[in-house]
Amino acid sequence: MSSCEFLFNGDVVASVLEKDGDNLKVKVGEKEFEFRSLGNDLFSTTVNGARTDVAVVKHKGVYYIDIDSVLLEVRETSEDTFAGGAGDLVGEKDKIFAPMPGKIVKIMVKVGDEVDEKQPLVIVEAMKMENQVNSRARGRVKAVNFAPGDQVDTESPIIELELPE
Amino acid sequence: MMERLFNKILVANRSEIAIRVMNACRTLGIPSVAVYSDADKNSKHRLFADEAIHIGPSPPRESYLHIEKIINAAKQTCCDAIHPGYGFLAENPAFAERCREDKITFIGPSPEAIRLLGNKIESRIRMAEAGVPIIPGMKSTATDMATFEEAAEEAGYPVLIKAAGGGGGKGMRVVERPSDLQSAIEAARREAKGAFDDDTVYLEKFIVKPRHIEFQILADHHGNTIHLFERECSIQRRHQKIIEETPSAVLNDELRNRMGKDAVKVAQTAHYTNAGTVEFLFDESGHYYFLEVNTRLQVEHPVTEMVTGVDLVIEQIRIAAGHPLSDQIRNLTQRGHAIECRIYAEDGENNFFPSTGSIIHYSEPAGPGIRVDSGMQAGMEITIDYDPIMAKLVVHAPTRKLAIAKMIHALNEYKILGVKTSKKFMIDVMRHPDFVAGKTYTNFIEKNMSDRQLDMDSYKEIAVAIATVASTAPAASQKSTERGIKGAPPPPWEMIGSWQIGGSIRE
Repeated sequence: MSSCEFLFNGDVVASVLEKDGDNLKVKVGEKEFEFRSLGNDLFSTTVNGARTDVAVVKHKGVYYIDIDSVLLEVRETSEDTFAGGAGDLVGEKDKIFAPMPGKIVKIMVKVGDEVDEKQPLVIVEAMKMENQVNSRARGRVKAVNFAPGDQVDTESPIIELELPE
Repeated sequence: MMERLFNKILVANRSEIAIRVMNACRTLGIPSVAVYSDADKNSKHRLFADEAIHIGPSPPRESYLHIEKIINAAKQTCCDAIHPGYGFLAENPAFAERCREDKITFIGPSPEAIRLLGNKIESRIRMAEAGVPIIPGMKSTATDMATFEEAAEEAGYPVLIKAAGGGGGKGMRVVERPSDLQSAIEAARREAKGAFDDDTVYLEKFIVKPRHIEFQILADHHGNTIHLFERECSIQRRHQKIIEETPSAVLNDELRNRMGKDAVKVAQTAHYTNAGTVEFLFDESGHYYFLEVNTRLQVEHPVTEMVTGVDLVIEQIRIAAGHPLSDQIRNLTQRGHAIECRIYAEDGENNFFPSTGSIIHYSEPAGPGIRVDSGMQAGMEITIDYDPIMAKLVVHAPTRKLAIAKMIHALNEYKILGVKTSKKFMIDVMRHPDFVAGKTYTNFIEKNMSDRQLDMDSYKEIAVAIATVASTAPAASQKSTERGIKGAPPPPWEMIGSWQIGGSIRE
């Protein structure tokens, strides 16, 4: 028996693992799950009474999971695991990032503009498609750090907002 | 021993469609030649061909769109035919012409037919003259706003801006009100310029709530033109198909015959040869309108193959070699129901944003009536260089209901980690009562799926349980981690130094 801790969707979640022959039993809170390894990063388990296969791979401190086509990410608590684009950060709604590296086609706002949640702010071209990036909050445009034609990565904010108190 | 239709075929494409074409070549006993860019040097299609030629840097303009380089690769390897796949040079009349000048058979229609049908406006006019119904709208292009404004008023809002030079949703914009017209035209022009190197756009009436129904065509060089029934491709996001099926739930035999006959008429009017697709919009009152002809093999061609039993690529090659359509092909029936789901590298939970990364796990579903056309393998990088389609999952079953059920479990067994996909989104589409009832319109996703949200918290316990189990199985996941961090394992020839098998790998 061994206890572990993981980060999921911002919560720290504890689990207990028990080995019973070839079966692996895991308790998370009140719920209990049973797994059999199928090799090649695949496990068989039962969810809501139905048997299903899950795929899981650990990469840079993050467990990437496919269960019934839902893609989940679980992070280790012990490591500094933040790896993804800054757009993943919870609470940083005042910064607008490109969802993936690309070229800025159009910026629809200027410094001083009032913007609403979900208002289109920027168009980034990637994979030959124009992708619209919307505001994630209501606020006022504080800074525009790029211009049309610029290449942009996922780590540098394109637009910064001043959020209402 | 089969008669060899061609000496050798160069496949001027990449990823899943290149492999699909090479498969047909293998079946026919014809050696195939792959071309690949820097980004594709470890790709599956390069290794699948009998020979492979490097044609330059990753940007398509410098490799897959570079006519000289492709022609030179074909000459260098003594190919007497080129299959263009879809996208890239498939619908480029200059390329088909260049092949003709160099006495290389272009496996597709004539440059004249591509040119006529590639001009969406001129083909509209020609088909209207031939008696095929078309959508009301502009009958010529324009550059000044006044002409667009006038045409929009005449057709009535909402209107649709379309690129004269292409399809696939690129350079296309719906405009609801006059105040949005100018910015929509500008955006459509930019996208059209980037995608087709031609910023000509035009305007037609936007048919609200249509179905997208298309007919597969085959035409030989002996005057025989047939259709291989319809495909319904109404489930689209950003005007791009993601789920296709055949038969369409809405067509009865009478309508199917009528549309099929019009599709054949369209092909004959354009003096069309080889495989093509005649697209129609089908409105709520049961009227249909000619949209355009795709002068190539379609992404969704496998669903037609499933219900007819015809290998369309083999037929393309036979036709290009001058063979007439066989009696068997001219007397087909539809058998059962087939569905295709496109597996794009995109986030189905976040507005279909393209997703990049390296594939850290890849396993395909298998079973009766399940087909995967894929260009993927574990370790490969999905980059922003190319169209984000990675694979196509196709199922065949006796009924639509069974095909839906089979597709859902096949999607669940199809495991791809490292990039996001829309698998879960497509499952939710197919579970929606309107989809089950066959109420599939091109606004399906907008209407039925826009409020959809995954309740992540409901997966909290199972997610952590899976991570817990994986953390105790270091052997499997450790290996994958290594693979993921370092990228693809080096191909064997890079590990053991320079070597050759029959001169098959050339740089």
